[in-house]
Amino acid sequence: MSHISKIELEIKDLEALKNACKVLGFQFMENQKEFIWYGKWMGNQPLPTGITEDDIGKCDHAIRVPNAIFEVGVIRKDNSWILLWDNWIGGGLEPDLGKDAGILKQAYSVEAVKKLARKKGYRIVQKKMPQKVRLSLCLP
Amino acid sequence: MKQIIIDVSDDGEIRLETKGFTGKACIEESEFIKELLGKEKSRQLTPVYYQKVKQTIKKYLHLCG
Repeated sequence: MSHISKIELEIKDLEALKNACKVLGFQFMENQKEFIWYGKWMGNQPLPTGITEDDIGKCDHAIRVPNAIFEVGVIRKDNSWILLWDNWIGGGLEPDLGKDAGILKQAYSVEAVKKLARKKGYRIVQKKMPQKVRLSLCLP
Repeated sequence: MKQIIIDVSDDGEIRLETKGFTGKACIEESEFIKELLGKEKSRQLTPVYYQKVKQTIKKYLHLCG
């Protein structure tokens, strides 16, 4: 063992996000400028940095989740993308999206790492483990 | 064997671990993953990190003739 790091995710690769949607059976709606949500901000949760009440519902792309009424907004922020969605239970997103969109973030991370590691010539082993996915990259 | 292991939990948390590297090589080799996925929140160095890369030292004996 040499070192262990914890990483805070930033979505930088839109193609990897599209692939993650495909893997999960979600529909990536290219250039859809609005996403479905409750429609009225209740102020019960903090908004991401740089997002105001007026921004909710507006997006650069959107993600449709089967069996859910609400959608996920994909918004360009500097050099990365942020996900914005209404987690009200009636919207139906959480069962497939995961708590705090964890399942989508997990699928994105896996797709992004695989894509770049493949380009760099690493041998990749993907393993589903209890409550996590493990990617092992072996140097050639 | 040199390995980079990335664990992504179901709630989206990412943990990266390097194995089989000596010294700073582990930081350099895994940098592209950190840059790709976001910001490094914490880093824990393990004893192997502090090991020096093996160097061949040549010693010459003074021969008196």
